[in-house]
Amino acid sequence: MNTLPQQLANGLFLGSMYGLIAIGYTMVYGIVQLINFAHGEIFMTGGFGALTVYLYVLPNGTSMWLALPAMLIGGGLVSVLIAVGAERFAYRPLRGAPRLAPLITAIGLSLALQQAVFNWYPDAKTDRNFPQLDFGPLHIGSVSISSGSVFVIVAAPLCMAALALFVNLSRTGRAMQATAQDPDTAQLMGIDTNRIIVIAFAIGGFFAAVAAVAYGLRYGSVKYDMGFQMGLKAFTAAVLGGIGNIYGAMIGGLVLGLAETMATSYIDGIPGMQQLGGGGWASVWAFVLLILVLLFRPQGLVGERVADRA
Amino acid sequence: MATTEKTTATPRGLIALPHNAARALVAVGAVGTITSTFMSWTYTSEFPGDLTYYGSPAGLQVLALVAGVLTLLYALTCWNVRGLGWLNPAGAVAPVVLAAASAFAVSWFSAIAIAVDLKGLVALDPGAYIAAIGSLVALVAALALPQPGDTVKSYITKPDNIPAASRLPGWVERLVISAATALALVVFAYGIGVDQDASETFLGYLLLVVFGAWALLTAGLFDRISELNARHKGFATSMAFLAAALFPFVENDEHNANLGVNILVVATVALGLNIVVGLTGLLDLGYVAFLGVGAYAAALVSGSEFSRFSGVQFPFWAAMLTGMLASLVFGVLIGAPTLRLRGDYLAIVTLGFGEIFRITVNNLDGTSGPNITNGPNGISMIPDLQIFGFNFGTPHDIGPITLGRFANYFLLMLIITAIVVVVFNRAADSRIGRSWIAIREDETAATAMGINGFRVKLIAFALGASLAGLAGTVSAHVGYSVNPAPYQFAGSVPPNSAFLLAAVVLGGMGTVGGPILGATLLYLLPEKLGFLKEYQLFAFGIALVILMRFRPEGIIANRRRQLEFHETGQLDIPESGLPDTTVGVTKAGA
Repeated sequence: MNTLPQQLANGLFLGSMYGLIAIGYTMVYGIVQLINFAHGEIFMTGGFGALTVYLYVLPNGTSMWLALPAMLIGGGLVSVLIAVGAERFAYRPLRGAPRLAPLITAIGLSLALQQAVFNWYPDAKTDRNFPQLDFGPLHIGSVSISSGSVFVIVAAPLCMAALALFVNLSRTGRAMQATAQDPDTAQLMGIDTNRIIVIAFAIGGFFAAVAAVAYGLRYGSVKYDMGFQMGLKAFTAAVLGGIGNIYGAMIGGLVLGLAETMATSYIDGIPGMQQLGGGGWASVWAFVLLILVLLFRPQGLVGERVADRA
Repeated sequence: MATTEKTTATPRGLIALPHNAARALVAVGAVGTITSTFMSWTYTSEFPGDLTYYGSPAGLQVLALVAGVLTLLYALTCWNVRGLGWLNPAGAVAPVVLAAASAFAVSWFSAIAIAVDLKGLVALDPGAYIAAIGSLVALVAALALPQPGDTVKSYITKPDNIPAASRLPGWVERLVISAATALALVVFAYGIGVDQDASETFLGYLLLVVFGAWALLTAGLFDRISELNARHKGFATSMAFLAAALFPFVENDEHNANLGVNILVVATVALGLNIVVGLTGLLDLGYVAFLGVGAYAAALVSGSEFSRFSGVQFPFWAAMLTGMLASLVFGVLIGAPTLRLRGDYLAIVTLGFGEIFRITVNNLDGTSGPNITNGPNGISMIPDLQIFGFNFGTPHDIGPITLGRFANYFLLMLIITAIVVVVFNRAADSRIGRSWIAIREDETAATAMGINGFRVKLIAFALGASLAGLAGTVSAHVGYSVNPAPYQFAGSVPPNSAFLLAAVVLGGMGTVGGPILGATLLYLLPEKLGFLKEYQLFAFGIALVILMRFRPEGIIANRRRQLEFHETGQLDIPESGLPDTTVGVTKAGA
């Protein structure tokens, strides 16, 4: 049986998730040149926020179809609050400090968030089961799509389209572009750059929460340390697509997801590399891809070379 | 309130007491504290350290005794007692207050800990009450001493002008350096020797060290010592290493020697990372992987029967070179493609590399990959080192003292630390080192001045990697085995990349002492404070955030970096000028 269509579909689902998280990295980086290292944890808390809504806020046995929007809102709220709080209390005081300072703050924040969930969320020391949509896998030809994957494939393009419209058509979106181009001039033109930065963090946080719900639906559970790997991959995707470019983030995510899936399923067919396939090597191939892209196209797949603004 | 009091002719204290009475009361309180430590503090021996004896201070009592003596000495400096002038050159009030605070903190902490641990105030013997009252009297009386500055803050800050020290003959200065080093060794050995289960004693020790060091700092003694050290740099450095080499003789216990080795390994690796992060300003988030590469390389050629090449047993020097070389190759492989780009890319690629290393080593077990590293089980039963017939695994007698396995390794590791310190210092002062600093400050300007940025950065990266590999070769032998688990980005067991980075940042980037101090603190704290174990990483993360917010230059600040982090727009403002200006502003506003 030909597994290629199935693997392509798997790659697309994974890639869409990476892309959604990558938006958060790329928007923040585009405006304040900060790698928000804690973004992976913001993604994770979004998942736990959604889970909290399902377990403790909604009445028992609520249908998933009704619960899902509430979970999205709840998870989004948690992620957005944490992202905006981090910006306000951890990053903003360090604006203008040498670049190393906010990056280390971000690492600290990431550890603290992860450990906070690990220590204080009920039973979070192992996987927490995530509620599932109750319809069986869809079959299209030889491809089987699980209910969780359907959510990703619907949500990711919707989010992307909404973001593209917002950035290109709304006043705030244009202010955002201006701030990314040159914060000082943008401020001179009457743009409240602090507000723009908060909005960038908030959008990134919300998208991360959507991705976290998708993750939970697709893999059936959330875990306190899921943010590290996913965040790392998503950042890789953002760099791959060209950091600072929101289309790049989505494209980078898709490429990374596809490459990872293809590598894990087909690389062991290459003579001499029989033992290098399989899930254990997925991350390795993802980073090899990143290094290759940086070597040959450092501005990313769709990015344009930006002048060093040091 | 403070400003209204300022109008009176003579400066007054926070608490209205005649000057003489205040001085006397500080001394009385200190004597009370000292006396109390010779009495019983509690009736059962259940409290760590057994504080039940009359006549022989133990555990927390020793700490209270030291704090009391310190307070007494500083109280006496208020009377200008001859021979004590050197303790408090400026005759400042701050050290008296802080010394009294150290006694207060230790005594009250002890009393509260006893009451909490043993369920109630009944557990306290008269000695504990005397200590608590004595130290409270001393602290209150110290606060009644004339206020040195305009704000309450001046009670705990260093006075602006401390009279310059008169030059002593060279040999006296060396003697002073030796004494200071010996004191540091005793303090450190005491801390590391605190029993694992006696978290209370260690907390008391921390309180004493923090307040005591603060008192000495405000008295200006640290400035004096660093002045002396700068004048006799070579002598001071050798004294420091001599003191470190004496550690296994002072603290003759295998468990503590093991702690010492691990601290040295982490400190050495942190020092290597400091070249990359502190001097060159490149953020390496996967540095621990280089340590891992060195450790694995050494383990593979160690002759262990679990190694893929179990027949091969390199002599130590060859294993060392293998480890360094392997790390160097990986450093160049990772650095070459990424160092041409902006710094952020390097951060993420090194992070990725760190993960790749761990995953790959985990996978190379024969089932999910070729069998090289034995997967998650790692390579165990690594034989002990043998150099010139000296077996590091067996105890050796030196005079009356037996040096155990870990003490042997401690001394070996110390030599390696010394090598790394020398490399660090020489490199930092060399042409290359200046290029590193130039690149860290402004890469565009540096390249405009003719520095080949890529080449210089690659050298820093490769040098840092090979130093970590060097430390890794020894750590593989010390720990008997290597496995992938500790080489992760962040975890509860050092070494991991976040831990190393935190050691550098906490201690002070770009300095030699900083990473060593940072690594020591970060390693010892969780080791001795058992109750923190669960929340250690959480506290660690929060601490990083707070540190970056309030003291981004670390404990031991590199002067240049300090100015950089606290940019005021005018680079040559003296440090002591800053608090003054802020005071002036508030006064004008009020």
